[in-house]
Amino acid sequence: MKVSINLAQEFSNVDLKSIPRDELLQRVGAQLGAVEEVIDWAPKYEGIIIVKVITCASHPDADKLSVCTIDDGGITPDVNRGENNLIQVVCGAPNVYAGMFAVWLPPGTIVPNTLNTDPFVLEAREIRGVVSNGMLASAKELVISDDHEGVVELNRKEVGFEPKIGEPLTNYFGMDDFIIDCENKMFTHRPDCFGNLGVARELAGINGLAFKSPDWYIKPHFEDFQDQVLEILVENKIPDLVPRFMAVVMKNIEVKKSPVWLQALLTRVGIKPINNVVDVTNYIMHLTAQPLHAFDYDKLKVYSNEPSLMPRMSKKGEKLKLLGQKEIELTGEEIVIATDKQAIALAGVMGGADTEVDENTNNIVIECASFDMYSVRRTSMRYGLFTDAVTRFNKSQSPLQNNVVLAFAMKKMHEFAGAEQASDVADIHGDLKSPVALVVGVDFINARLGSNLSADEMSQLLNNVEIETHTKDNNIHIVAPFWRMDIILPEDIVEEVGRLYGYDKLPVKLPKRTIKPAKKSELLEFKHNMRQRLAAVGANEVITYSFIHGDLLKKTGIDPDRWAYHVRNAISPDLQYYRPSLMPSLLAKVHANIKSQAGSDDNRFAIFEIGKAHVKGHEDAEKLPEQMDRLALVVTADDKTAKRYHFGASYYLARKYLQVITKSQDEITILEDDSYSVTAPFQKGRSSIIAVNGVLLGVIGEFRPEVRSALKLPEYSAGFEIDLNLLQKQLRAQIYQPLNPYPKSQQDLTLEVETSVLWDAVQKELFKTLAFIKNEQGYNFEIVPKDIFSRAESEKKRLTFRIGLSHPEKTLKTEEVNKLIERLAEVAGKQFNALRI
Amino acid sequence: MSYQNPDVARVAEELMAKLDSLPDKKLILRDPLLRGLFDQLKTLPPQERALFGKEVNELRLKLNSLAGDGIVIEEQLPIDITAPWDVNTPVDKMPDFFPTEQGSIHPLMQEIESICNIYQRMGFMVEESREIDDDFHMFESLNFPAGHPARDDYDTFMTDEGLIAPAHTSTMQNRVLKKYKDSLEQGEPIAVVIPGRVFRNEDLDVTHEHTFYQLEGVYVGEGVNVGNLIATLGAFMNEYFSQQLKTKLQPFYFPFTEPSFEFAIERPTALKKGNTEADQWLELLGCGMIHPKVLKMADIDPEIYTGFAWGGGIERLVMMKHGIEDIRHFESGKLEFLRQF
Repeated sequence: MKVSINLAQEFSNVDLKSIPRDELLQRVGAQLGAVEEVIDWAPKYEGIIIVKVITCASHPDADKLSVCTIDDGGITPDVNRGENNLIQVVCGAPNVYAGMFAVWLPPGTIVPNTLNTDPFVLEAREIRGVVSNGMLASAKELVISDDHEGVVELNRKEVGFEPKIGEPLTNYFGMDDFIIDCENKMFTHRPDCFGNLGVARELAGINGLAFKSPDWYIKPHFEDFQDQVLEILVENKIPDLVPRFMAVVMKNIEVKKSPVWLQALLTRVGIKPINNVVDVTNYIMHLTAQPLHAFDYDKLKVYSNEPSLMPRMSKKGEKLKLLGQKEIELTGEEIVIATDKQAIALAGVMGGADTEVDENTNNIVIECASFDMYSVRRTSMRYGLFTDAVTRFNKSQSPLQNNVVLAFAMKKMHEFAGAEQASDVADIHGDLKSPVALVVGVDFINARLGSNLSADEMSQLLNNVEIETHTKDNNIHIVAPFWRMDIILPEDIVEEVGRLYGYDKLPVKLPKRTIKPAKKSELLEFKHNMRQRLAAVGANEVITYSFIHGDLLKKTGIDPDRWAYHVRNAISPDLQYYRPSLMPSLLAKVHANIKSQAGSDDNRFAIFEIGKAHVKGHEDAEKLPEQMDRLALVVTADDKTAKRYHFGASYYLARKYLQVITKSQDEITILEDDSYSVTAPFQKGRSSIIAVNGVLLGVIGEFRPEVRSALKLPEYSAGFEIDLNLLQKQLRAQIYQPLNPYPKSQQDLTLEVETSVLWDAVQKELFKTLAFIKNEQGYNFEIVPKDIFSRAESEKKRLTFRIGLSHPEKTLKTEEVNKLIERLAEVAGKQFNALRI
Repeated sequence: MSYQNPDVARVAEELMAKLDSLPDKKLILRDPLLRGLFDQLKTLPPQERALFGKEVNELRLKLNSLAGDGIVIEEQLPIDITAPWDVNTPVDKMPDFFPTEQGSIHPLMQEIESICNIYQRMGFMVEESREIDDDFHMFESLNFPAGHPARDDYDTFMTDEGLIAPAHTSTMQNRVLKKYKDSLEQGEPIAVVIPGRVFRNEDLDVTHEHTFYQLEGVYVGEGVNVGNLIATLGAFMNEYFSQQLKTKLQPFYFPFTEPSFEFAIERPTALKKGNTEADQWLELLGCGMIHPKVLKMADIDPEIYTGFAWGGGIERLVMMKHGIEDIRHFESGKLEFLRQF
C-alpha cells in the first residue's frame, strides 16, 4: 500500500508535513506496521524548473523539430545564453508553441525516468547542427504517465494560476511527494487503511493528534435531482453476497486525459493513468479504499433489453470478455454484474470489455458496491486476477461508506469530466449491520497491556482516530466508526489503545513463576544422546526432506502407492510423496558424497538422520497419520578404501554402529519377510530384524543388488533404520557388576562347527552354561569374541571365544579353569556337534 | 565346464540355450531360473550349501562374462548375521568405527538444542511439532476462517486426503493448550516451546527453502500481558546472544494473535554490518497476545487467562552466525558442509 503524504495531507486537518520525516517513519514502523520502501520524489526533480517558451521556429534541417528560445528567469548558471538572456533548446514535441509554460531540464540534470535504470545526464549538444541546451520534458520523462507525445504544459487551467518562471517543478503538481510503501499484510484486518484517508487518520493518531474526517466522508452530499433522463433498472438478486449495491447514470462526459497532478499522483502510488473517468474511480479508490467501476452507458444499453444493472451469480458456461479482451468461461460460482441480457463485469474483480469507457463515451454508469470477500477472493484465485479492487474487496470493505464515496465520486466526475447526474441514485441494500458497540473495562485493557492508563488517556487515544467513547464506572463505551470493520471484540480495543499509546512505552516485566522444574521430554533427550553418541564414533548427521520422489521410492523397492501419502500440489516431483522410511533419502546422498571425495585414500563415511516417517494407513490416536520417529544410518566406503580398512561384509560395521545406540541390547533375527516399506531395500540373507526386549524396532543389513545399482552405492554399503520412540522405551538400565577382588583368568576356546551354525547360537549356549555355573558355584564370567576362521572350500568353521572367569571369594587355579572350559566344550559338542580344537 | 550338482547343471544348460535368442544378453542375469537356484540354496541343508553355492556363483560369473561387461551387481551369499565380523577377518581389519574427528552433528539440530536449552532453563517445556496435520489445527483452531485471505500467505502442501504439511509450528498451539489446560487451572502457567519442521510450497533459491525449521512458543497464565511478552523474548535474546540488547515491537497481523507484532532486536555486536537504520535492527520473530478465540477453541476462558505466543525461523540464525551463503546447504547432505560443524 503506497501512501502519498501529499494526498494524505490534502485530506487531513493535521499538519503531517511539519512532522520530521525520520520521526514519522519511526512512528509508522512502531505503531502502524512495517515500511517496505520509502520514496522521496523531490530529489528526482532536482534542478528541473519552470520556463516560458518565448520563440519557437522550425529547425532548418529537420521537419519535426523546433528551435525554441526559453526564459528561465536568468537563474540557471553556466548555460549558453543568447539575445535577451534567453536559452536555446531544440524540441521535437508537436505541441510546443511560443508563449507556453513548460518544464525545462537544464544541462547537468538527469532525466527522471532514467534514474532507476541507466541515468541519462543532459548536456548542451548539437541536434542537426543546432545547439540544444538541455530539453523540454514530456510526461513520460517526468514519470507522470506513459505519454511521450508532447511536452508537459503548465497552463492556467492546469495550475490554477499563472506559473512562475524559474520556480522548481517540485512547487507544482505535488511533485515533491513522499511515498511510504507499507506492507499490505499488516492491513489484512484494516480495510480502511487501503485508502490514503484511513492512513491519514492513523498518522494523526500515532502522533497523538486528533483527526477529523472531511465533511463529504461523514455525510453523503447528493444534489437534489428530478430530471431523470437516462433510465436504468437496478436490482440486487443476491443480497447475501452483495450487502449493498449503488449505481447512478451520469451524462455529457468528455473523456480526456486527467490533469497532470492527478496522473502524476496515480503513477506515484502505482496506478497507471488511463483517462479522466477511469482515473477518477482509481483516485477515489486509493483515497477511500472503496473500489468503483464506470460502465459506458450507451454500450451497456446495446447489451440490455432494457438498460439495467444487477449483481447476480454467473451461469455455468457463461462467457465474459474482460478488460484487456481476455475471455473467461464462468462456473456459476462467481458474482457478476449483469444487464437483463448478459454478464458485463466480474464483480469486485474486473470490468468487462463490452462496456469499457473509451474516448467516445458520452454517458456512464458508476457502480459503488460491497461484495462478499470470500467470493471475490475465490473468483480472483480461480482466474488468477489480482487487481487493486481485489486487494481491497478481499479485506471486506464497509458497505456503510458506499453512499459517501459515490456522492464524492459524482462530484469529482463532474469536476474532471464535466459529468452531470442523469438518473436517480439507486441504493439497494437489506439491513446493513450497524457499527459495533462495545463496553470495555479500563482494567481489562490495562491487564492485557501491562499498562496503567486512565480512562481519559485511553479515550483520548481512541478519539484521535474518531472512535467515539464515553466512560462510565471505569468502563469505556465504544461505538466503532462505520469504516472500521475490524473492531468486534474488546481485544480489538486493547490493540488500538496499545498501538496508539506506543508499545515501546509499556512497562517490561518478566512473568513470575514458581521453582517447580519444567518437565523434560524423554524422547528429545534421547535423540540428543543418540546424536552425541554417533558423532563421537565418527558418524555425520544429515537432514533430508520429508518429501520424496516416487522414482526414488521405487528404486529402493518401495511401492509409493501402497506406502506413501501423496502430495497433490507439489511444486516439483522431488516432493511427490511423504516418505514412509528415511532410508531411501539417506541412500540418495551416498553417491554424491563418494564422488566428491573421489581419489581420497579414506573415502568412507557413516551418515545418519533422525526424522519422521509416515506410513500410509498407520494412524495415531487423533486419526492422523502416525508420526514415526526414526533413526537411519548408512555406512559406506568406496572399493579402494574398503579394501584398505575393511574386510568382508559391510553388515558387520553397520551392526557395530547399531550397538552404539542400542547399547548392545539388540537381538537380531534373520530378515525373512521383506514386504514392509522399511525392509524393502534390504537383501535377504545379509539383513536382520532388530528387536530390543522382544519388541521389533527396525531392520539392519546390506542392500539388494537392484538398489545398489540404481543408486550407485559402493559394494561396501550397509545400514539400519530403527524406531527411536520404541527403542527409548525398551532400553533397560545397565546392571552394575561388583568389581572382583580376585584376579581374572582368561582362556580361549576354539570350536569347530558346520558353517551353517550361527555364532550367536553357540555364544548363547556358552552364556547359558556359564550363567548356570555362576548360579551354582558363584563364578563371574565374560565371553569375548576372538576369531572366526574357515579354510577355503571347507564346510566347517572355527569359532574362538575368549572366556574370562573369576570368583568373588578366591583366586582360580588353572585346573579349575580348565575344567570349566572343558565343560563348555562338552556342551557345545553335544549341542552343535562342535569339536574343540 | 560341468557342474556336479544336477540342478545347477540343468539350469546352466537351459540358460546357455536361451542366451542366443535374447536381444539384450544382460537379461540372462535376471532370469528366474538363475534366481531359483539362489532361492534353492537357502533351503539346502548346511552341508550341501558350500558346494552348491560355489557352483551357482561360477555359473553366474560365466553368464556375466558371456553377457558382456554389463554392470550387473552380484547378489552376495548369505552371511552369519549374528556373528561379530565376517569369516577370516584379519585382526587389523575388524569392524571399527570411523575416526571421531570425522563425526558431526547437523548445525540446525545443534542450534535447536541450544535454543531449547535456554527456554528450558527459563521454565519452558519442549514439545516437537508435527509434519503432517489437518486443516483444523493448521487453520481453523488458529482463527483462520475458511476462505480468509490470511490463508493466501501460506502456500501449503496438501495430500490427496486433504492433510496438510504445516506451514508454521503454530499448528501445535491448540494441542499444547488443551494438553496443559488442567495444570493451568491448577495455577501453573502453560509454558511450552515447540521446535519443528515446516513447509512452504515455493521454489528454492539461496534464501528460500520449501522445508525449514521454526520454533514456536506459548505462554498462558493469569494476568499475562504485552509487557511480559516483550520481557520474555528480550530475556531469551540476551541469553542467546550473550549481550544486553534493545528490543522493538512492530504492529503486524496474524489471525491467531491480537494484537500481533514483529519482534526485533538491536543487531548484536557479533553480527554488525552497515550503519543504516535498517541495519541497526534484526527482525527475528512474529508474536502477539493469543487471540481469545484461539484460547476458547482449547476450552480456556479468555476472561480469566491470557497469554502470548511467538514463532521464528532457525535457519536465518544459523546462517548469520556462521556466514552460510546458501540455505540449500542444510538439506544437501554434503559432507563437505556438515563436517565443518
